[in-house]
Amino acid sequence: MTLTKTRVPVGSALHNEVVEWLYTEAELLDDGHEAQWHQEMVSRDIVYRVPLRQTVERARGKGFAEGTYHLDETYGSLGSRVLRNQTPYAWAEDPPSRIRHFVTNVRVAEADEDAVAVRSNLLIMRTRQEQTQPQIFAGERQDLLRREEGVLRLFRRTVLLDLTVIGTHNLAMFF
Amino acid sequence: MTTTNPQHESSAAGWTADEVLHKLDDGLPQGEIPAALFGNADVYDRELRSVFGRCWVFLGHESEIQAKGDYVLRRIGEDNFVVVRDEDGGINVLFDACRHRGVQVCRSDSGNTSHFRCPYHGWTYNTKGNLVGAPLWRNAFGGMSKEGNGLSPAAQVASYHGLIFATLDATAPSLEEYLGGMTWYLDLVFGLNSDGIEVLGPPQRFVIDANWKSGADNFSGDDYHLGTLHRSVWEIGAFPVPFRENMLGYHVQASPGHSLSFSMAPTEDEPGPKFFGYPEDLAATFDTSRISEHQLNVARRSRVFVGNVFPNFSILALPMTEDGSSHPPTGILTIRTWQPKGPGQVEVWNWFCAYKNMSPEQKERTYRAGLGTFSMGGSFEMDDTEPWITVSRTGRSVAAEVLDFSLNYQMGMPGVGIAKQVDDWPGPGIAYWTRYEEGVQRNLFSFYSRMMQAAPGQWPDLRFPE
Repeated sequence: MTLTKTRVPVGSALHNEVVEWLYTEAELLDDGHEAQWHQEMVSRDIVYRVPLRQTVERARGKGFAEGTYHLDETYGSLGSRVLRNQTPYAWAEDPPSRIRHFVTNVRVAEADEDAVAVRSNLLIMRTRQEQTQPQIFAGERQDLLRREEGVLRLFRRTVLLDLTVIGTHNLAMFF
Repeated sequence: MTTTNPQHESSAAGWTADEVLHKLDDGLPQGEIPAALFGNADVYDRELRSVFGRCWVFLGHESEIQAKGDYVLRRIGEDNFVVVRDEDGGINVLFDACRHRGVQVCRSDSGNTSHFRCPYHGWTYNTKGNLVGAPLWRNAFGGMSKEGNGLSPAAQVASYHGLIFATLDATAPSLEEYLGGMTWYLDLVFGLNSDGIEVLGPPQRFVIDANWKSGADNFSGDDYHLGTLHRSVWEIGAFPVPFRENMLGYHVQASPGHSLSFSMAPTEDEPGPKFFGYPEDLAATFDTSRISEHQLNVARRSRVFVGNVFPNFSILALPMTEDGSSHPPTGILTIRTWQPKGPGQVEVWNWFCAYKNMSPEQKERTYRAGLGTFSMGGSFEMDDTEPWITVSRTGRSVAAEVLDFSLNYQMGMPGVGIAKQVDDWPGPGIAYWTRYEEGVQRNLFSFYSRMMQAAPGQWPDLRFPE
């Protein structure tokens, strides 16, 4: 996905609408309303991926191995994760982590199929139990939002993490 | 009221590795293991030399380095080794340290190359590890032999079913001898058909603040934890065998150190998954071209295979799904290493495998099902890490030493639970039925203790006494 064409200016109506959408999403995820996020903001044909990254020589690119992932989710599998977190046996997130999504550098472009292409920088700070040092995820999100019955929904998300070795014990949260 | 217990005298200095190992030897016959095993720093330092410095360690699969010049960077203990296919198709395992100043010569996780060049002064090695040159050779080194100045190879390298292992110990017995009875069980998973397996991409890597032995312990056959820790997987329909039924099957001490566990249907006619839940048209290719009739029959009745090759290589095959609403469970195969990173940290390297003759659709299905369950973001595995973190916290605690705190590994010992040793098991080793049993872990720690205390050049017995 490229953003070379028709990037809309910061402060334009479309840009504002997308930023508003991203902030709402971050709020739902930070507040633990995963089911509501899943139901209201995610498209039924979503492809949600966190590709696996390796350290490779410059000539070989950024090191994202083709076809391999940390997460490769559909609407159904995301639903399974949401459902799992609601059971009384989801030890990985119960007691829950404190998770905060920081979303910046939001770049918006009009794309095909009534869709909007969005690149943003993502920083997630996560603390568990009495930890004072947060687990940190930094990376880029490449999203496609599509207008469905007047509402923007996420139908493509690729999270390009800066880490090759993930410095945390699980990925029980959502990016 | 005050009471004193002479066992509870604290010492100003922490326990040495020898003290912890003596406690391990004293406790094991009663099913007790000192908690300090999972956090004591002196124990960890000894492990790097006595376990990882000597044992056969898993490094990767041959399908990761198919072409000449393909390489991956892997670890033995905490040290980097380049695993590279050379110009003649051979596999070399080379210590990633330049002979000039010890600088890392391979700085990528994987790639393809004809040579490795040190970034410091330019010493250059071929894929066999031989020194081939350095800048301005005549001025700098003219007259010095290149021979003997190559990258240091591991003492021994060998593969089994494409699984690449190496050892730093020239006195180590051969890989097959080291694997011992475990080969029968590796055959049963990796040799189910004549095509064998391949890995689906590079490994996922993540770090847990836990001791590496928690992974080895768990995969030696800790099935009992499923009912509590993994109860959510039944709630979301990720795994098709009910907990109580899943406890039926065998625990096997394949040979000293190597342990495994089968969830198994009592008969072939039992409804439920066969061949670890692999699709029927794939299972139709499972045959006796590489394994015996006995092995095929065991695999046919098997629902789950979980095992650990000492010290830190684990294998898991079972039926899973990442989304029970759209896809029924299907067979997955993950292999992984519990890479030590200090007494309280482990890096997990997690590969997914497929049988080479699977269709592209079957490969995608098994990969997705595996990723959605047995990976750091997977519904099954993400809970495992929570208790392991606190095992290692207990393991490094002052209280565990002062209170002489030991862990209970008594399940399945005489008079404890229902598991009984069986004598009609077709495979090698010591087998128990049912899986309410922790002899598999006692086998891990018993061999561990002997390895930790073996004199240089001496090897503990690799066979059980008759």
